[in-house]
Amino acid sequence: MDIIKNPRKRDGEQQLGVLYDGGKVRRRREWRGFKDTFFDYTRWLYLVSVLGKFIMNPYNVKGFFRYRWMANYLGVMHGMDKFTIGLRDEALRITHYSFNYVIADVTQSIVNCFRGDRRIRNDEEFSKHCVLTDENAMTAQMMGFKAEEARAILREVPTMFAANIFNQNSVIHYIDVAQQYGIPGDVCPMPESEAGISIDDDFCVLGSCAVQVNTTCDGSMMGNGLIAKRLEREYGIPTFQLTAPLRHREEDVQKYAAEDMKKAIAFIEEHTGAKWDWDTYFQRAKNVNDCTRKRMAQLDINATPYPQFFGAAFSLYNDTNYMGNCGRDPYFVKLDKKLLKLAEKGYREKRMYAREYRHRCIVWGVQPQYIIDMLYWMLQCWGVVPLTDMLSMVNTRMIAEEDTPENREQAYYDMAWLNENMIMRNRTHGGYEVLVDELWEFCEQMNADMVMMWEHMSCKALDGMHGQFEEQARERGIHLVWVCHDLCDPRVYSRQAIRDQFNSYMRTVMREEPLDPTIEVLPDENAW
Amino acid sequence: MSKLKKIPLMLLGAGGAFFVVTFTIYFFNLDMKLTSKLEPFFLKHYDTMPRKQYV
Ligand code: SF4
Repeated sequence: MDIIKNPRKRDGEQQLGVLYDGGKVRRRREWRGFKDTFFDYTRWLYLVSVLGKFIMNPYNVKGFFRYRWMANYLGVMHGMDKFTIGLRDEALRITHYSFNYVIADVTQSIVNCFRGDRRIRNDEEFSKHCVLTDENAMTAQMMGFKAEEARAILREVPTMFAANIFNQNSVIHYIDVAQQYGIPGDVCPMPESEAGISIDDDFCVLGSCAVQVNTTCDGSMMGNGLIAKRLEREYGIPTFQLTAPLRHREEDVQKYAAEDMKKAIAFIEEHTGAKWDWDTYFQRAKNVNDCTRKRMAQLDINATPYPQFFGAAFSLYNDTNYMGNCGRDPYFVKLDKKLLKLAEKGYREKRMYAREYRHRCIVWGVQPQYIIDMLYWMLQCWGVVPLTDMLSMVNTRMIAEEDTPENREQAYYDMAWLNENMIMRNRTHGGYEVLVDELWEFCEQMNADMVMMWEHMSCKALDGMHGQFEEQARERGIHLVWVCHDLCDPRVYSRQAIRDQFNSYMRTVMREEPLDPTIEVLPDENAW
Repeated sequence: MSKLKKIPLMLLGAGGAFFVVTFTIYFFNLDMKLTSKLEPFFLKHYDTMPRKQYV
């Protein structure tokens, strides 16, 4: 592609390497010029207020001392800084507003966990209406329940997933615990650490029932088996297995999936006493459709020469919006609108976020990009713009949103469809069309000349396709950069070992020099 | 100067002091430097807690 040069000089810091000193946290925060530094400071104040309010609650303090994973939240601001590196103007605002809300959402879910937790506040009345919901689910089966009657509690999110955003070492202890009990070391660290958390008795215990899903893979089913056993036998929490068909694009599997969805809903009604409400469902279906429209509009902007909402924040926001939320929180509708308005403004003003854009890149494969600030680093170090990622290429279909007798039946199919098309698994399962063929279509739509392929060494879901990617990228003249990692276990692939793979491709294959040589090698092995 | 007239000045002073203190903490990352020092104490505490490990 032709290099696009940024006609404006970036305010503030030009070389970002100065922020790293080899410690757990950065030497200081980034100087972004007066206007953007002041904005960043006000968002920092906002987060201080969110965390301050959280810690004023004595039950939360009790939870802090009970659960090891809570220590990772000492690094919340560090996580935020990771994802705003080098950003200015609209992209800085979009990243803050989206990511700040994700933080507020996770904070609320910790408060809910502690409220119902038998070891912390033990509010039995509240707990009776809680449904422990697998973090790898779209939570579509909760769309027709009012929160006060049946509330989804995704306890793995604060315990494992979000904690890992703020501290790269957050799950090492739990992986070790799982391995002490005989789980092999080559299992994906995500389900392995979840199993370790359960073995170590470090999950909150609450709820009248639980729903687990098979939506990622056999690794996660292994972890779920251990977790369900403890839930049912020790804590008396019955667990439903919601099983989404693997070949989710085939017509003949949809009936089975819809029937299973009906059974999951009946199970929740039976154990919580809640009643499914169609008005609530269709209102939330409207919210899901609205979020899909806004995400597609953001992708349209990213297909132009001036992408605005990109990087780990884009993917994390989509994760939260589709999976954790799935239409249930009306604030996402307002926030989607605000983010799109900012992106449109940035596009109109032709805002760029690096000195030059050299390559337009789609990020594919199973990603560790919450643990490392890789996507922002690619932009600042090499001028490679991450247009979108595999997790953000989720559902594009509109679901039925008018309450009619036919649509009430259709709704089960729609919920099943959402569940089958859970973020990530909609690509890692379902055959080569969804994983390989559609990638090239996206490259065309987004005018991408490069694909950064995350290769998660413990994920069997993608390994078999390696050769097909290689062959087809070559045929199409797309630069394919393989970057191997071991998800949330930094002992196997450190951050620099991850970046080095990208560096060597850029130097040896592309024969390019970095835009900012001070960040080509970073001393952040020990950083949170 | 009457007491009433001093109020805006006091508010301005308090606001200014708040800004100087919090901005210094923010810019020099003192918040994270402090919490990173606390982490080892918490980890030690979790290590000494009795656990009921179970598969
Ligand atoms: S990353 Fe791969 S192995 Fe790990 S849970 Fe997801 S699909 Fe399974």
